[in-house]
Amino acid sequence: MSERLVEQSPAGREGVDSAAVQRRTDGASPRRRGVASWGDPRGRRLGGWAFVLHRVTGLGILIYLFLHLAVLSLLARGPSAWDDFVSIALSPFFLFFDVVLIFGLLAHGLNGIRVTLVGFGLVVDRQKAMFVALMVLGAIILIVAALRIFEVG
Amino acid sequence: MQEQPAGGPNRTRWTPSGEEQKHTWGWVLQAVTGMLVLLLVTLHMIANHFVVQRGLRDFAAVVAYLSNPLVVVLEVLFLVVVTWHGLLGLRAVLFDFGFSRRVESWITRVLWVVGVAIVFYGLWLTWVIASYH
Repeated sequence: MSERLVEQSPAGREGVDSAAVQRRTDGASPRRRGVASWGDPRGRRLGGWAFVLHRVTGLGILIYLFLHLAVLSLLARGPSAWDDFVSIALSPFFLFFDVVLIFGLLAHGLNGIRVTLVGFGLVVDRQKAMFVALMVLGAIILIVAALRIFEVG
Repeated sequence: MQEQPAGGPNRTRWTPSGEEQKHTWGWVLQAVTGMLVLLLVTLHMIANHFVVQRGLRDFAAVVAYLSNPLVVVLEVLFLVVVTWHGLLGLRAVLFDFGFSRRVESWITRVLWVVGVAIVFYGLWLTWVIASYH
């Protein structure tokens, strides 16, 4: 609503939405005001998308971890409860979500290497190339994993 | 108003592009636990899906898997580190909303309780399965 105002007014820099200003001044993962602005493409460069990818996959993996631990409680109910779950987990529908999970793990884990290196001041000037290389590596591993998941079943 | 930094006033920029991510204790801990998670999740996947041929397909396979003390150490260590990393990450996301210091310290406290509960749940579950006959 006040975005245009913010961008024109110097007062907006400290005020209503500092994220809008930051987005124009530096594209690489500025701190934003919460989840709402992650989908905002304006002025976002590759680094900004890497930031969004990292957060979305991170939250997705966290939700998966809670589900994973909840499902494991079936083990406390004995063999039949667990074996019934395993047969459901082998359906193609579930296996598709395994591939989604692998995508999230690879995107988050590999980008995390870049974030860590850059965070400690290493290869800062090559971050973009590093991001692209890591994502290509991730894509290759994802394809191999997806083929294996559906092959082994 | 400028958003509150995640981990206190001693912050330095970590890239020349003017990013607002800071070298706080939280950030360093996130990076360290992150690299450990990367190692442990790899071992977790290899142990679950490759060392165990065709994976843990039934209850008996899970009991046999957890009868190996090395596996128990790996899985418990993984649980502790991944819980820490995940909740610290959630904390960073929540802190970006720009809550007050008081709310932020409550978030930290609640996440600590959640994290400790998760680890105890994992230990309990491991014990239940390992003692199954």
